[in-house]
Parts: sequence; C-alpha cells; structure tokens
Amino acid sequence: MTAATFLLELRRSRSLTAWLVIVGLAYGGLIAVFYPTISSNSAVVDQYLALFPREMIAAFGLEGSLADPGIFFNTYIGSLLWPILATIGAVLIATRSAADLDRGWIELPLSTPIPRTRYLGALIAAQLAALAILAAATTGGVLVLGLLVGAPFEAGHFALATLLAFAFGCAVASVTTLLAVVTLSRGTAGGIAAGIVIAMYLFEVVARIEPDLAGLGSLSAFHYLEFVPVIDSGALPSTDLAVFGAVSVVSWLLAVLVFRGRDLVA
Amino acid sequence: MGNAIELDRLTRSYGHRRGVVDLEVEVREGEVFGFLGPNGAGKTTTIRVLMGFIRPTSGRATIFGLDAWSDAPRLHRQVAWLGSDPGYLGELTAAELLRHLARLRGLAPSAWRALAERVDLDPGIPIRKLSRGNRNKVGLVAVFMGHEPLLVLDEPTSALDPLMQREFLRLVAEARAEGRTVFLSSHNLPEVERSCDRIGIIRDGRLVEITTVGALLSGHWRSVNLVLGTPPAPGYFDLPNVRVVASSGQDVHLMVRGDVNELLARIARLDVRDITITTPDVEDLFLRYYDARPGVPSTTADEGAAARAAR
Repeated sequence: MTAATFLLELRRSRSLTAWLVIVGLAYGGLIAVFYPTISSNSAVVDQYLALFPREMIAAFGLEGSLADPGIFFNTYIGSLLWPILATIGAVLIATRSAADLDRGWIELPLSTPIPRTRYLGALIAAQLAALAILAAATTGGVLVLGLLVGAPFEAGHFALATLLAFAFGCAVASVTTLLAVVTLSRGTAGGIAAGIVIAMYLFEVVARIEPDLAGLGSLSAFHYLEFVPVIDSGALPSTDLAVFGAVSVVSWLLAVLVFRGRDLVA
Repeated sequence: MGNAIELDRLTRSYGHRRGVVDLEVEVREGEVFGFLGPNGAGKTTTIRVLMGFIRPTSGRATIFGLDAWSDAPRLHRQVAWLGSDPGYLGELTAAELLRHLARLRGLAPSAWRALAERVDLDPGIPIRKLSRGNRNKVGLVAVFMGHEPLLVLDEPTSALDPLMQREFLRLVAEARAEGRTVFLSSHNLPEVERSCDRIGIIRDGRLVEITTVGALLSGHWRSVNLVLGTPPAPGYFDLPNVRVVASSGQDVHLMVRGDVNELLARIARLDVRDITITTPDVEDLFLRYYDARPGVPSTTADEGAAARAAR
C-alpha cells in the first residue's frame, strides 16, 4: 500500500460514501424513531403482518415480533438497507481498478516505481475505510436516534452489529475487486457482483420457505448476516465473521495475484 | 555507453489481432530516438510493453538491462512516461495531480512548480476544465519534472500549439544535453526531424527501417515552388537530383532530392519573388513503404507524395 494512493482513493470515494451515509442515517434514523410506536403497538402490528403471505414475510427476514430490537433491526436494516448500501458502495468503489483502466488513469501510477501489489493494496485499504465509515454511520444512526426516543438498544450489541455489517460489505467488495481485475470491465464486474448478491438473497428466501431446499441457505451470504442474536443478546457472530473474513481475505489475495500478472488492456 | 532500450524479437498480439511482430530495436543511452508510424502501426503497443503494462507474446523488451515486465517497478525508477491520452482525474487540479505523481515517483512535492510556470500552466484549475492543449501541458510537466535517465513519450505534442511544440523541443534538447535518453513516438515528422538522432519506422506492426533523419529525408523528394521575376532560361535547372515538374513562365515547380546546395545557389542568382519548399510529411514518407509493391518503383511514390504535398 502507498499512503499517497490510499489518500487519493479515499478522497475519490468521499462523495459516494457521504451520500450513502446520508441515506443510511436518514432511513435508519427515521425507522429508529418509530421503534417506540411499533413496540407499544406490537400486538396490532403482528396481527397486521399475519395478513401477508408467509413468503413475503420471509423475504423481509421478519420472523418474530417487531417489538424485539433484533427482529426490528434485522427487518429494516440488516436484511434490507444495509445489503443495498453495502452492495452499491462496494460495487462502485471496488470496480475502480477496471474503471481507471478504461479511462486511462491507472497507467499513470503504474508507470511509477509503485508495484502493482501495493497499488491494489491501497485501493483495497480505501474500500475498507469507506465500508467501515458506512457501516458505523448506518448502525450508529439507528442506535443514537433509537436511544434518543427511548429504545432499549445496547451500544455494545450495536458495535458487534457494525462489525458484522462491515464484514458483509468486505465480502461483497472483495469478490467485486476480484471480478474487476479478472474482467477489467467495470460494467461486467459490477453486474456480476450485483447479480450474485441478488441470487444469494433469493437463495436465502427460498431456503427459509422450503425446508427441502434449506441447503441453499448455506450458499448465501445472507445466511451469515444474522443480526437478531447480535442485537438481542450481544452474541459474538464468530462463525459469520469467520466466513465473511475468509471470503474477503481469499478474494482480495486472489485479486492481488491476478492483478500482478494481468495485461492492462481495456 | 550501453543501450537504454533493447527490443529482442518482440512480438505482441491481441488474440488474433496483430500488435507488433519481431521488433528488433536498440536505443543507445543519451540519444533521442523517434518511433514513427501511422495510427495503428504498433507504436503504443510497443510503448505499453516497454512500460510493463502488457506482457510480450514472445521476445523480450529490456530497459537498462532490466526486463520490462518482471522488473517493471524497479525500472520505473529510471523512466518517466507520458501516454498519448492519459485519463487524468478531472476532479483534481493540475497542482494536486502533479504533486501526487511527484510523490509516487519519489520527487519533491513541488518538483513540478518551475516547469509549470515555464509552460504557463495554471495549476489551480481542475483538470476537467482544462482544454486539451492545457491537459497536454500537464503531461509535459509531469514527464519532465523528474530526473529519470529515460523518457518514454507517446505522441506528446498531438494537441499542443506551435509555441508549446517549440517549448517541447527545447525540453527534449535539454534532456539530451543532460545525457538523458528519449524514446519519442510520433507521426509528426518536423517534430522528429528537429529532435531525434535516429528514427525507427514501424508499419503494420513490423519495423521497416532504422535510420537517421538526414538519411530519411535525403532519400525523398522535396517540392520547390518558385515565383520568379523573369522566366528562367531553358535547362537552367538541369541538375542530376532535380526534376522540373512544371514551368509556366514565371511559375516553376521543381522536385529535388538529396543535396540542395547547388539548386539553392542557382535559385539565388534569379529574381525570386516567392519560394516554397515543402518537406514531405510523414504520411508521404510512409507512402514510400506502403507503395513499395513489386513493380512499383518507390521513387514514383515519392514523387507523387511530394507533388501532393506541393499542392
């Protein structure tokens, strides 16, 4: 990694990250403000939700009462807002190597003594920083505004949730980085990455609805993005973190290896 | 002195598409080497291999003895590169970009400043707001701000105005005076003529010839158009290397090849109202190679090219 490249990449991610943070804070904060209302009317809300098809409820990860902070967070943030924000952020930032090749920028830093490994390392570090900021802002917004309106949220539990959310984002970003250096096309890499995320979401929903296809769930990243025990009891999601961590490390390492030996032809 | 650049049977293809084939080039340390060819001839491919952006399909490219692919980061300490159309980050100002590149190259962050003033570049303007010519100035400052012993320039003056082209030639001359080597890809013959010691001509991915600029030009016809006060005597321009293409009283169109001194001496004795001497441009020079088919004498192509240039 080079500090100059890292700082430049961070700067280039600034605007996108800021907009995603605003979306995360606005949506998450708004939802959190409504938590006391939902909680005090949980019986009516549950009755209302029972009117919807089971498949739809499963699709939103809503299995239990919304009065439960874990279910509440998982429904509105964990399985909805965060995957969307993380995927948008990860795809746009992690495909930058391909986009920079296409625009003819990447050759400039690579014509200097900076090795390709260090260059891509700086890009990955910038991805990590942007995702960390985004995850912290999204979960932090829910926590702070929830506490302000009297929600029984635990800061320590939310810190663990931030870690899990960050790990999920890293997994998406790392696979996207690998796809970007393999295809050297932002459109192709971003499309495949987004397609994979959507397919995994469907796998998880199908696995929840059809017990015969429950095995599909383990193929899905969403299977490991389970916030309920984290928010409710502060359970360290070590298995989930290990899965996301392994995917991230392996994908990024592969990306660096591929990038080292890749012809830079747009 | 050794060689700064060596291409040893360098071949690079893109799948079924031809890139460059069996290039054999040696660029000596301290010389300015022009690499001439029309668009698509393989100039940029050669430079991309030299810079380690792409790998040779076969053969080898070395810079100061280091392999252009496997030793790329190490040899980049000794090379400054300027691409033909770099995709600068438009959101950065010229100063921010140059400072960034200086840092990456291990130069002082302000290494660009004096040169930016010299080429009259406003460093505070975001690059996306700069004209193409000013963006090319950014490239010139970037490549000349360091002290690397080898400069690799890919059509650096394509959007520069004549004044800046002159400044560029001065910068190249200064680099040569400092003993630096310059590898200059171009299809601008006057630029190459004024700056290069030797040139290599590439056509369809293959090296056609390596020669000096003088030798290249001396083998080609130049067009001389005269407007005279009085018509010349018949046979006045009868010289072995001169042909009279057209003579209509006071207007005379000549073609000359090689040594022009005798012709100039004869012209000087006339009442000359106007004179135009046209150097064949690179396109015309290439016609010699492109039209040199069996049964078609190359001089015919030269004459045709020069006649076109005169028109």
